[in-house]
Amino acid sequence: MRKTAMIVLGLIAVVLCYFTFVSAGEAFRADWPLPRALDEQQARYRLLLITQELETPFWNKVGDGALEQAKKVDANLQVWGSYGRNEDDFLKKIEIAITSKVDGIIVQGLDTAEFKELTKIQAGLYGIPVITVANDVPMQESLRRTYVGSDHYSAGRMIGRELAADMGPAGTVVLIGDSRQQYYQKQRLDGIQNVLKNYPDIVTVYAETADARESVIAAAGDVMNRFPDTDAFIAVNANIVEALVQAIGKRFQIKPYHIYSFDDSPESLSLLKEGKLDGMIEQSPEVMGRLSVDLMVKWLNGETIPLDMNGYYTDIHMLKAMDAP
Amino acid sequence: MTSIQKKIWLLASVVLSIMAAIWIALTYYNQKSQDQYNDILQRYLRMNEVTIASQQLVAALNNYLRSPTPKQMEELQAREDTLRQTKFEVQSLRNTDNDFELSNYVHLIDSLVGTTDRSLLLFQEEKDAEASGKAFSEATRIAMYISEMTLTLIDKELNTYDRFYRGIIEQSEALKRLGMWLLLLITFLLALFTYWFSLSITRPVLTLIQAAKELSRGRFDLKIEVASNDEISFLAKMFDRMRININNLIVEIQEKAQLEKELQQSKLLLQESQLRSLQSQINPHFLFNTLDTISKKAYLEGSEETSDLLVNVADLLRYNLKRLDRSVTLYDEVRVLRQYIEIQMARFSERLQFYTEIDESCLHVQMPGLTLQPIVENAVIHSIEPREEGGVIWFRVIDGPDRVTLEIEDDGPGIADHKVRGIMEEHTFETEGHSTGIGFSNVVKRLRLFYGIPDVLDIESVAGSGTKIVLKLPKIRGSEAYVQDLDRG
Repeated sequence: MRKTAMIVLGLIAVVLCYFTFVSAGEAFRADWPLPRALDEQQARYRLLLITQELETPFWNKVGDGALEQAKKVDANLQVWGSYGRNEDDFLKKIEIAITSKVDGIIVQGLDTAEFKELTKIQAGLYGIPVITVANDVPMQESLRRTYVGSDHYSAGRMIGRELAADMGPAGTVVLIGDSRQQYYQKQRLDGIQNVLKNYPDIVTVYAETADARESVIAAAGDVMNRFPDTDAFIAVNANIVEALVQAIGKRFQIKPYHIYSFDDSPESLSLLKEGKLDGMIEQSPEVMGRLSVDLMVKWLNGETIPLDMNGYYTDIHMLKAMDAP
Repeated sequence: MTSIQKKIWLLASVVLSIMAAIWIALTYYNQKSQDQYNDILQRYLRMNEVTIASQQLVAALNNYLRSPTPKQMEELQAREDTLRQTKFEVQSLRNTDNDFELSNYVHLIDSLVGTTDRSLLLFQEEKDAEASGKAFSEATRIAMYISEMTLTLIDKELNTYDRFYRGIIEQSEALKRLGMWLLLLITFLLALFTYWFSLSITRPVLTLIQAAKELSRGRFDLKIEVASNDEISFLAKMFDRMRININNLIVEIQEKAQLEKELQQSKLLLQESQLRSLQSQINPHFLFNTLDTISKKAYLEGSEETSDLLVNVADLLRYNLKRLDRSVTLYDEVRVLRQYIEIQMARFSERLQFYTEIDESCLHVQMPGLTLQPIVENAVIHSIEPREEGGVIWFRVIDGPDRVTLEIEDDGPGIADHKVRGIMEEHTFETEGHSTGIGFSNVVKRLRLFYGIPDVLDIESVAGSGTKIVLKLPKIRGSEAYVQDLDRG
């Protein structure tokens, strides 16, 4: 009896002790992962990648590539930008970046006066190097150090050749582009037309539209009304391709048309997979990110001076619907 | 300090130290979390200060541009200094997570100061109101960016410290749990400790109470043992000593009572024999005179033998009546014994043969009266009377170094064992035809009382071949008190 009581009491004591110690351990644990405090700014380059189109597959890849490279060369890189091509926000971000005196800005080129004013005057005032990525703005207008991205002219040529091969040497081609007439878009158009002018039987029609969805549909409808015997569409600006496909789909079967575009819009790849696009130009966004950071750091380190004014072209190739997985 | 007090102090100090330990731990912990909260708040406040300072700077610049008085200029300078000050403070908030933003932040502040200065310069030196206004609007924008950046930073801060904050919340929860468990544990342990502790005080008391109960019931032989090291054990020791003393006293009293009882017994015995002697004292003078007269008459009638016999009878009777309550010498006893034998010789003639061997040098030994006669009479009654052919009785007095040995031996049928034992244990038997009415056991008792030693008398009896009674009388009396007592009684 006495022994049992002793054992029971001992057990109770052990259990109580155990729980007390466990909860004491919880209560007095002080190992929260606090960020290490820094007294001085670290001697690392602060770089910014600024884009208009955050969280799109294309720009995510650019960002990933850039971050990866930044990590490799121990630079501090952040990706800023606006969502859904909000220009005001985008420009504001650039201004903040400039007034924050970052060491270098890698920016998606925007062919507007404000952009040029910012990169040319403001950035110049603070002495901040700017590299355009993916979309270029002419050097003399933006005072960019260099451009990293696809050669849009040759991309246009590539798509023109592809069209000619697919469609044959005769037919009507509708080129639809953004009414803002961005620099890269112009280059693409130039490239396409440069190829197609060798085929006298191919008629090219150029239509412009604002990038709002309704106007794209309206413009597409208008073009189809005017040229009912259209054989092919090329969305020179990838951002309108989804609306374009929808507009065509409303009226006709999509199949008989040859539709081409570029990969720098969120919808391009999925449309290609669905077979609604016949082909698109695939660019190398990761390489763009990596290369731009690499070049920026090299420039800041004084390793590569001057940078190639014309830009560093990254790889492009044609992706056809049948190749798509 | 006494030890029960010590024990109570111990208990109190254990409880006190546990409480103090808990209090210190909680206070320390509280202080720590308080410091953490302060740090966090400090961070937020500093960031907010930057926003406020930058907005104030812009406002001051605006005021100055509108009305460029020295007072406004002073104000503007003061604001600028404040902003620089806050900039330095904000520098200390840098950590690995917000390094980038904080650098931007600091540079934004620099830009703001720079732009403000530029605006001032344009305004004062170059009087270019338009350019100055442009710089001012830029400063306004930068101030706006600063406040946005503040929000971004605070946001970042919240993200960075999210786990930390949650940790604090969890910790306070854990602390609550700890409090509960600690309370349970301490309650339990204290209960155990108090139980043990109170037991260590009360157990000896209980033992003591038990012992006291036993004592009050009259049991003085149980040892009182208390296994503790406080006053109770001291008390118990004292109590035990008291018990031993009482026990000793009681034993003494019992012994005394025993002695008293024995005395009483011997007195009764004496009275009994006196009574008997009185009974036989019926008009002794008449009897003696008659016996004398008969003796003279027998002598005159020529029967000398009868005359001597009658004189012997008369002497024996006289001795019997006179000597019972005194000590006498062996010499007297032997003389009376001879007279008695002579009477018996007359009775049994040749059937009784009596032989004596007496060492005359020890006849002065003191002994109680009427000792030998009853023993010899006993021998006569048991070994001569019933036997047709008669028997032999030997009587010897042998000197020893400190004792005189008297031997009375007969060749009769012996005494049965149980009877011998009865005699030695002083049981009274019915006396068969003793002339003096004094039995064997009476003799034994008186001898023992007289000398105060138990082994005065010994009986060696072999069935069918005789009995030998040995008396060993000390030459010096062991118990003088006996006689005195007798004299007083």
